[in-house]
Amino acid sequence: MAATRFTKMAYSSPDEIVFGTSKSPVSYGFGIKVGAGRVIPELNYAPRPGSEKDPARLKKEYVDYISKDVLTRAVTLGFPDVQLETEWVSQMGNPKFSIGVVEGQHEICEKFHNEYGINCAVRQTLPDQREAEEGLRPCGKGHKYPEALVGCAEVACENGADVLACETMGGKEFADYAVTSGDVVAFLYGVGYLGAIDMEWIWSQFVDIAKKNKVTPGGDTNCSGANVSMFMAGGLLDQDVQKTFSAVTRAISAARTMVAMECGATGPDKDCGYEGPIIKCITGRPAAQEGKNCQCAHADLQGNLMAQICDLWSNESVEYHPEFGGSSVQCWLGSLGYEVALMNCAIATGNEKTLRDLYMITDRTRGPEGYMLAFDNAYKVGEAIAKEGKNIYLRAKAAGLTAAKVVKAGYESKELPLTTKQKDVLDVIIKELEALPAEEAKFTEYCHKKYADVVPNYNKKNYGL
Amino acid sequence: MVSPKGVDYAKILKRYDIKAQNDTSPEAIAEKMLPKDPVLRKVAETVVWMKFKDVGPATTDALKTKDALAIINDGLVAGMEVVSKLYADHIYYLPEIMMAAKTMEIGIAIAEKQIAGGRVTKGLVVMHVAEGDPHDIGKNIAAVMLRSSGYSVIDMGKDVAVDDVVKEVAKSKPMMVTGTALMTTTMTAFPRAAEKLVGKGISIPFMSAGGAVNRDFSESFDLGIYSEKAPQTPPIADKIKAGYDWRKVRANWEDIVGGV
Repeated sequence: MAATRFTKMAYSSPDEIVFGTSKSPVSYGFGIKVGAGRVIPELNYAPRPGSEKDPARLKKEYVDYISKDVLTRAVTLGFPDVQLETEWVSQMGNPKFSIGVVEGQHEICEKFHNEYGINCAVRQTLPDQREAEEGLRPCGKGHKYPEALVGCAEVACENGADVLACETMGGKEFADYAVTSGDVVAFLYGVGYLGAIDMEWIWSQFVDIAKKNKVTPGGDTNCSGANVSMFMAGGLLDQDVQKTFSAVTRAISAARTMVAMECGATGPDKDCGYEGPIIKCITGRPAAQEGKNCQCAHADLQGNLMAQICDLWSNESVEYHPEFGGSSVQCWLGSLGYEVALMNCAIATGNEKTLRDLYMITDRTRGPEGYMLAFDNAYKVGEAIAKEGKNIYLRAKAAGLTAAKVVKAGYESKELPLTTKQKDVLDVIIKELEALPAEEAKFTEYCHKKYADVVPNYNKKNYGL
Repeated sequence: MVSPKGVDYAKILKRYDIKAQNDTSPEAIAEKMLPKDPVLRKVAETVVWMKFKDVGPATTDALKTKDALAIINDGLVAGMEVVSKLYADHIYYLPEIMMAAKTMEIGIAIAEKQIAGGRVTKGLVVMHVAEGDPHDIGKNIAAVMLRSSGYSVIDMGKDVAVDDVVKEVAKSKPMMVTGTALMTTTMTAFPRAAEKLVGKGISIPFMSAGGAVNRDFSESFDLGIYSEKAPQTPPIADKIKAGYDWRKVRANWEDIVGGV
């Protein structure tokens, strides 16, 4: 199915966007309604090392320990909804490992729903093990990872997934080079352009498989690109990658991640896609987000701000292990669930916009990434994307340039402090993006010539070019 | 909308990055460290200022009057030492390290052709990413840093099977092998590989690193040592080169990586 491009904003103003409500709510699983007036906690987990040794042990870890612990704690604390997210470990590429887990999680959700009336569902997030050097599309050689990825979608959808999601890898070879070299044009070409092409190729297939099996096609994230950029930009003392650079790469990634929805994905997209606020502004689809309640997985500088427009609120991931307060998944569900209860209380009392604004203002000037993602600024980036919505190059470029100018305006108005280095890098980014051609063909020709011998494992055939 | 205007952010957050920034110019530090000899200085400057198009001509020019080994050690590597200082002082960051290292490698490739038998490096390191794991950016950065510090590297890439790692180590006899993993269920390959190495009578340090890996895990199996971040890899390699075995690296880990 061809992608239907977004060329208009789903919301008429940034103030209209708030957590818990989306223009296009989605229902699935055992009573879950996302974006329909309340926020839902989404708990993600990683099995303990060693549990991957055989299918029975892995199923026991995911179903009998993790899922049961989460659902029990949700009931214990009185949470009305909970969503589980299983990010498949690589071994689950083998159906012998995955089928039992998917079936088992479906069954235990049904059991708790029937017994307690708790609304619950499972998001199955596939492992994209494709490697640029082995082929992102079937090419009859190597690992056959592209075929395996599609096979994983079928296994998940045929055996009980409620939501299908993936963290696809298209453009990763460019993202790695771009982040380590500080090359924004390489990121634009690799993630914004090539990544968008790859998204269309894979998400057209995912959506078909999901619909055939009456599963909700959720969405994606630029985990392999913009997350690497933001992770390496790190906290206030980690400056290997400048946060002005990571903020711009995050904006560019929005133009890529939204392709899933242009192919028919309905949301919710993936929590680790910090591009979510931009995408929700454009598409109106429910957004999964993460922030202050995902400190088990990583630290970032916008822990409150990311809650501003979420529909699912996630912990990102936590390894299963004991804590004083129960198992780790139970403790982090408590952390998530109480935050969600606060949001839902704000909605119930008509104070949701006040809480949204406080979340946003708290982290607005903690760094350039949060500043750009503040919902009023994210809306501006979204407008730039939608305006050029039909052309995947122009919209990704517009996203990057608008984000850079938003950050610069924040600096010049003295609202957002920047280090000298952050400012220098920002100026270079604006200069380089403004110098790019207005025509897609000229841009691709320029990039192919510039990067063909520079970016390891770059192969145009991976993108059907 | 609640307005952010007029908010006193000093009561909400502290921008330590603004406070900690080093406004010393790179030129000021380079001036103190660059070689005095004008020919070698010209070579070193191409590395410090990341002029990868100029390093070839500068190295070729220098070969007309200087010994190839001197050009490498007192020109190219000397330039990289300036870059390392700028990195340590938070004036240069990762992109500058990567670009400078690439520049240096171009120059070394030209100069070492003039050395009979090739350049002798400090030692060989075999690097890989665990089977089932495609996340290789940390390994790639560490490889650049090791090469910049005078080591040669066999980079086996990502998603590498345990038996392939063991086979390569047995064949190439490195001073250290490294493995990186982002996921808890892929890092379990490292103790399996280490056990097989021990079974073959190989006792070199096995450095494990990556998002899922911590020091406790790395030191839970024989041969295992830890690296928290890529810049720690060269100083650990230096100690192994100096005769530290994996037990001694573990015992002195804080001292070895202190400040990096």
